[in-house]
Amino acid sequence: MFQGLPQPIEDILRVLEYWDHILAGFLTTMELYGGAIVMGFFLGLLLALLRQYGGFILSRIATGYIEFIRGTPLLAQLFFIYFLPYSMNAILEAQGLSPIPIGKWSFQTEIIILDRIITYTIFDHRILVGLLTLGLNSAAYQAEYIRGAIKSVGTGQLLAAQSLGMSRLASIRHVVLPQALRRVIPAWSNEAAYLPKYTVVVFFIGVVDLFGKAHFIVAQIFRTLTTYCIIALIFLALISIVSKVLDFVHKRTSIPGV
Amino acid sequence: MLRVVDGWKSYGDLQVLKGVYFEVGEQEVKVIFGPSGSGKSTLLRCINMLDPLDKGEVYLREQNLMAPGVNLNAIRARIGMVFQHFNLFAHLKAIDNVSIGLRQVKKLPKEVARAKALEMLNRVKMAEWVDHYPAQLSGGQQQRVGIARALSMEPDVILFDEPTSALDPELIGEVLQVMLDIAKSGTTMIVVTHEMGFAKAVASEMLFLDNGVIVERGTPQHFFVSPKSERVKHFLKQLDILYGSHKELLKQSNEEESK
Amino acid sequence: MVETPDLPSIFFYILVNGLPLTLLLTALGLLGGFLLGLSLAIMRVYGGKDLGLVSNGYEKVLRGIPLLVLIYIFVFGIPGIFWFIEPLMRPLFGVILALGLRSGAYQSQLFRGAILSVDPGQMMAARALGMSQFQAFRHIVLPQALRLAIPSWSNEYAVVIKDSSYAYAVGIIEMLKVAFRVSANYPLLWAPTMGVVAILYFLFTYPITRIFGERQTKKLEKLGMGGG
Repeated sequence: MFQGLPQPIEDILRVLEYWDHILAGFLTTMELYGGAIVMGFFLGLLLALLRQYGGFILSRIATGYIEFIRGTPLLAQLFFIYFLPYSMNAILEAQGLSPIPIGKWSFQTEIIILDRIITYTIFDHRILVGLLTLGLNSAAYQAEYIRGAIKSVGTGQLLAAQSLGMSRLASIRHVVLPQALRRVIPAWSNEAAYLPKYTVVVFFIGVVDLFGKAHFIVAQIFRTLTTYCIIALIFLALISIVSKVLDFVHKRTSIPGV
Repeated sequence: MLRVVDGWKSYGDLQVLKGVYFEVGEQEVKVIFGPSGSGKSTLLRCINMLDPLDKGEVYLREQNLMAPGVNLNAIRARIGMVFQHFNLFAHLKAIDNVSIGLRQVKKLPKEVARAKALEMLNRVKMAEWVDHYPAQLSGGQQQRVGIARALSMEPDVILFDEPTSALDPELIGEVLQVMLDIAKSGTTMIVVTHEMGFAKAVASEMLFLDNGVIVERGTPQHFFVSPKSERVKHFLKQLDILYGSHKELLKQSNEEESK
Repeated sequence: MVETPDLPSIFFYILVNGLPLTLLLTALGLLGGFLLGLSLAIMRVYGGKDLGLVSNGYEKVLRGIPLLVLIYIFVFGIPGIFWFIEPLMRPLFGVILALGLRSGAYQSQLFRGAILSVDPGQMMAARALGMSQFQAFRHIVLPQALRLAIPSWSNEYAVVIKDSSYAYAVGIIEMLKVAFRVSANYPLLWAPTMGVVAILYFLFTYPITRIFGERQTKKLEKLGMGGG
């Protein structure tokens, strides 16, 4: 069908024949991305608050967690969490206890677009592990950005709020956090925009995300370079768009001097 | 020895220099003063071509610096500059600050450069501080090193851009002392400053620059005894207040009281 | 019954067998990134509009592609790129190339920031002495910029050594791969071994970033360098 076209164009078109697979992979990537960002934000916020305002013990635990996660490779963290049930089962079996069921469960659905039927895995145990790891990982990085923003608000604000009679908790909640959350937007946008890059790591535990689909396509048509380049471009486009959107949001929500 | 002929300079819409004529002869000391924003610093940077004029000429020993094909780096080696904020090289000790120009620009061997640098630092009375970093020196000390750095290149003329404006009052004296010394020893200097005492002591001519134009020029005597233009008179009165003799203020408040 | 290795011996096994390649990947990747990044930064600061656009464009592209994809492109997509190297060694160079190109993009921004935070008065004073722009940059701006860059650069080192773990995917015997091998037969040890290798990485990242991050910043403040 594509006989008369120059080789590169022909290659690209052959890859794009698999647009339904690419779409499915993209959806999985977005799922992981969205889940990781949200989980990372709330956990990161908690960690930042604990590190900044927690007592002696809590702040040290938070700090330890943050520094350890940031100082170790994401891949090692992923494998650790993935293997945890297996290792725990080995211990349990050695003790003669019954193992934890590592259910290979999954929720799938069928999406029909144009003339293609896409079998899409919404959730399975691997995606859960991936999501968890990415969330825990992102939380450590987001915690540092948030903490930096909290520190930049300055202790004067907290003192002023408390001098009005507000409790420490209320001061943090109503005075420091609103300012900190606005200040963190640039740095946070950085993390948010580039997070999709890191979701590819789930490939190693068998989740078929955009990168996984690239492998599938290569196995079908052997156009290695073209396929990976197209996948790379999709990531690039995704990241650029997210970046621009966040920039726009930043401009719209800025308060002078905050 | 150095001449600026019909100098014009603007930054965007703002005309900073509007037809400046200016010259300084061998061993002369010229003092330029005037309100801020009048273009004094700009004029200095135009002279050593760091920020060239839009229109006009600059002649150093009759060589036109604005002509194409002039080796500006070599020219700048012959024009020294001392900055308001010292601009000492933060990562180098005092001795290296002074010798680096000799090594890199004049290509002198290391020992010769070092010896000359020591000599210069001695001259500005910084001999005990040669191995200190700028951050370890007071403002006055840093500026003296800056002067030594300029002197070491043995330039035809040294430009001083408000050399004492960024200094605490107690430190101004030591720098002015050094400047007086080198003026008396025959260095050709162009100094932008408000230090009228210095001007009175060594200036061969003073120029009042206001709004990009040289409004009045003359000997120190001329300015302090009978300045012509109103703007100059007003400015000198402001300086009087700044430097504390407060003659005018006292006169006015006495007049108020006696009413 | 096969004797199960204990964690300390696993630790040393991974250290001895995996660390060399991990360090090699990291060192060469960082070196490539340094040369590339510094050049791009200089292009962007001193090079004028067109060069600046090239530099900026490169940064944007390389930061927007996952490292794993980049590695696969160089190892499986363009195997011919290393025609002069024997086939067994090619994946290694592919990974180093990917690491270097990626790091170059990040170091470019790093050095650009450092160069720009050197006090502009320094350049002015150097030019006033008669130094050419090149001389002024080389002797006055660059030494200070490099010192200012140290905290961020130590961070980049940590990133690259962690990223070297992706080389596992193409069969290179770095620390993560060794960790897999040594625990392959002992499900009991799968998770703990990952923990051990994580600790190993941590030992090579945290002390460095701690020392060259905070303390260096304090030392710089004492010397009074930077934008003032």
